[in-house]
Amino acid sequence: MDKLAKQLREDADRINVAITDELDQRIEASLRSVTPVRERAAPRARPPLFWLASALTGAAVALAVIAVVNRQVPDEPAAPPVTVAEVTPTIDLNMEAAMLTAPLQQELEDLQSDLKKAEEKVKRDIGL
Amino acid sequence: MTSELQLIEAAKAGSADAFADLARRYRERLLRFLLTRCASLADAEDVLQDTLINAYRYIDSYDPRWRFSTWLYRIAIRNASKLRGPDLVEIGDLRDEENDPLLQCIAASEKENLWVAARRTLNDDVFAAMWLRYAEDMSVNDISKTLDRSVSWTKVNLMRGRRTLDAELNDAARHAYG
Repeated sequence: MDKLAKQLREDADRINVAITDELDQRIEASLRSVTPVRERAAPRARPPLFWLASALTGAAVALAVIAVVNRQVPDEPAAPPVTVAEVTPTIDLNMEAAMLTAPLQQELEDLQSDLKKAEEKVKRDIGL
Repeated sequence: MTSELQLIEAAKAGSADAFADLARRYRERLLRFLLTRCASLADAEDVLQDTLINAYRYIDSYDPRWRFSTWLYRIAIRNASKLRGPDLVEIGDLRDEENDPLLQCIAASEKENLWVAARRTLNDDVFAAMWLRYAEDMSVNDISKTLDRSVSWTKVNLMRGRRTLDAELNDAARHAYG
């Protein structure tokens, strides 16, 4: 111990303190009036096997889910797939053409008939 | 004689007698320290009482990895700081020379007590670090825990404190021998 440390130690011991009876009684009385506060128990640490078991359970569940998903047969469709072409109503192009051209045909025939009548009339008028 | 650890365990179990036994081992030392931190003897005694009550109330939170004295001093310093107000004024500003508890408890002597010089020349925290080191033989780690300071702060300020007090000691010697 160096000189300074020794001096400080001795000087600390030279500070005279005494716990008076009154202070002693005060302290004793106040200690008896106090109840220690209980700390909430910290959650107990899980044993290492708990973590191993948890990890294994998790892995097993994941594997089971993967297996189930992969083994599922794709559902048969309730109805065979229908192509757009089938759904779209087909148009009978021939019939439609006939229907569409029928008035024109009639018109043509009328015109030819008119023309024929006009020719006959002209022939008659000129005496052929 | 019951060991400190046994008394602590009994106190944790709710025995006020065990804690009172434990307190008897430390109360003079704590009071001596508190005299240097408080403005009057009455304040020091009040802080001692509050410290022991708080220690008993929260004994369950005491971590045996710490020295019990470290834990007690930490509580004592915190309680003493409450007297200094929210601005943490230096104790010297609150103290009145006539009622200075430290001076009252130092036996009349021609030689000045070095702790009086320490209190005059060091700030409160450096003084506390020096006290814990040289009057209580605490390790640097325990001092840093008690004062809630880093280890490096503690080392640096112990060194500064020593240098200041060395100078005081040499001055005193020069005056004594002319």
